[in-house]
Amino acid sequence: MKTQSAEVFRKYTTPETFARIREFDSVAAMWAECVKQYADDVAIVDEGKEYTFAELERDAALLRTAIAAASDAPRVALLAANSYDFVKAFLAIATLGRCAVILPPQLDAPTVFGCCMKYGAGLLLYQPALAERTAVAESKVALLPADAAGETPTPAAEVPAEAACCVMFTGGTTGRSKGALLSNGAVMQGVVNGCYGYEDVFSQRYMLVLPLTHVFGLIRNLLTSLYTGSALFICRNTKDMFRDIAAFRPTIFVLVPALAEMALTLSRKFGRNMLGEDMKYIIAGAAPVSPYLVAEYKKLGIDLFPGYGLTESANLVSGNPESLTKPDSVGIPYPNQEFRIENGELWLKGKNMMDGYIGEDEADVYEDGWFKTGDLVRLDDEGFLYITGRIKEIIVLPSGENVSPAEVEAKFNELPFIQDSQVFEDVNEQGAHFLALEVVPRATELAGVEKDKVGAFIMAELEKVNSALPSFERVNRIVIRDSDFERTPSMKIVRYKKCN
Amino acid sequence: MQLTREDIIEELKSILLAADDKNADLVETCTEDSVLSTDLGLSSVAMLYMVIAIEETFDVRFDDVGMDDFKTLGDVVTFIEEHAA
Repeated sequence: MKTQSAEVFRKYTTPETFARIREFDSVAAMWAECVKQYADDVAIVDEGKEYTFAELERDAALLRTAIAAASDAPRVALLAANSYDFVKAFLAIATLGRCAVILPPQLDAPTVFGCCMKYGAGLLLYQPALAERTAVAESKVALLPADAAGETPTPAAEVPAEAACCVMFTGGTTGRSKGALLSNGAVMQGVVNGCYGYEDVFSQRYMLVLPLTHVFGLIRNLLTSLYTGSALFICRNTKDMFRDIAAFRPTIFVLVPALAEMALTLSRKFGRNMLGEDMKYIIAGAAPVSPYLVAEYKKLGIDLFPGYGLTESANLVSGNPESLTKPDSVGIPYPNQEFRIENGELWLKGKNMMDGYIGEDEADVYEDGWFKTGDLVRLDDEGFLYITGRIKEIIVLPSGENVSPAEVEAKFNELPFIQDSQVFEDVNEQGAHFLALEVVPRATELAGVEKDKVGAFIMAELEKVNSALPSFERVNRIVIRDSDFERTPSMKIVRYKKCN
Repeated sequence: MQLTREDIIEELKSILLAADDKNADLVETCTEDSVLSTDLGLSSVAMLYMVIAIEETFDVRFDDVGMDDFKTLGDVVTFIEEHAA
């Protein structure tokens, strides 16, 4: 077992900045300090309006009054799209010492009601634009619009680290969504983790395009931005993000790799850096990051840091401050992360871990108190983690040998003209099982190849990689796709299941 | 200068060709009848890319419509024809 120390991150920033990174027990304690330190600084920009830290606290304090008057329920459901209302409502709930059950805004009215029941929410706080989704819940749950305000402010509560902070939905790999309960201590560890591994941490300018109903959006994007006294621009419509970037000039962008790749394509198409001259860092996660992205962004003067995390771990488990020299690593574990590797699988404990799923059988989730991630990893001599596959994705060949598709795919993905690949088990007409590979080429990297020779060129290069693999990992059929793979809402590739 | 439908199609092809997940042959043989999701295989990210690139290129805004409202490439051409400055 290993426990990570904050000291390993000291060298990535200045001594002054490192000294300012400190831990808080609760969102309420952190927020009180933010309001004191950054009162007149801009905290949120939404729909053309700027809100300072003091103004946000003033509005949250009046909403606390309205919440306290409406219900004393310990769990409060929050139904809101990315907006100032969401930020204010989340802070009001958390600083009252209550637990926010964060509902995705696309849920329909019966599902909103079902979630309130399942997760025991006695009050439903909703964005006025989503009022019709409360129709079914209305008869059983107290309702309050997020623009409600009491007459006088209510001060924040003293909240201990072990108090529940929020319930976040996780799809996991099994597909059915579960509600992970995160304590204030867990959320705050996630927030602080977002400060490690790069030089300019405080008083930055952040863009928000990720959903606040996902830990990567809520914890790394919103709460780390507030913690560091930074300004957060809420981009309401993703298609407008480049116009918003030109106006707001952000310095940090938290992104999924698919959007980072799109921004690169647009920058090439229009011959300018669409992310703006002020952009310093891209924090990329929620899906595997291609080493190609790290290298291409460096050419634009932007450091792209891949990371690894889960809803169950309050977002961040590890981050890679040395992505240039180790582009295929998900980095070093963050402070206080306890971890061990059991038969190749990453097991986690620590302050950042959830207190369990609500209303679910947890028999397979933990062993000896360790959360089993289902991710297969390896650790190099310098303590950097590499994801080598998912346990459930392991293919057992007729020979009994185990193949990790992610590990084989990573070999093909090293070719710059391969954007994505998928290795899977298929079966032929005679019933024989074999390994197959499908790839999506990256057209921009093939510009120098004669058009009618592209297919043969790709095939020859893939064959070279294939023949260098251990014999049991070699694929028997290769298909070059002319379109992207089907993807989940969080842009992950939907895996083929041809032999189950 | 008024853009013809042919001009717009050519520009759309150039936008699609710059995207990473496209196959050049598929784009070059596409017509106004090509269905965006199936014939051209555009993923949700590729659709978003298209919207942004079209807005930038033709100076139009998709404020009340999304790419989901368009079925074929011809529908997109019609929208651009009607809204381009």
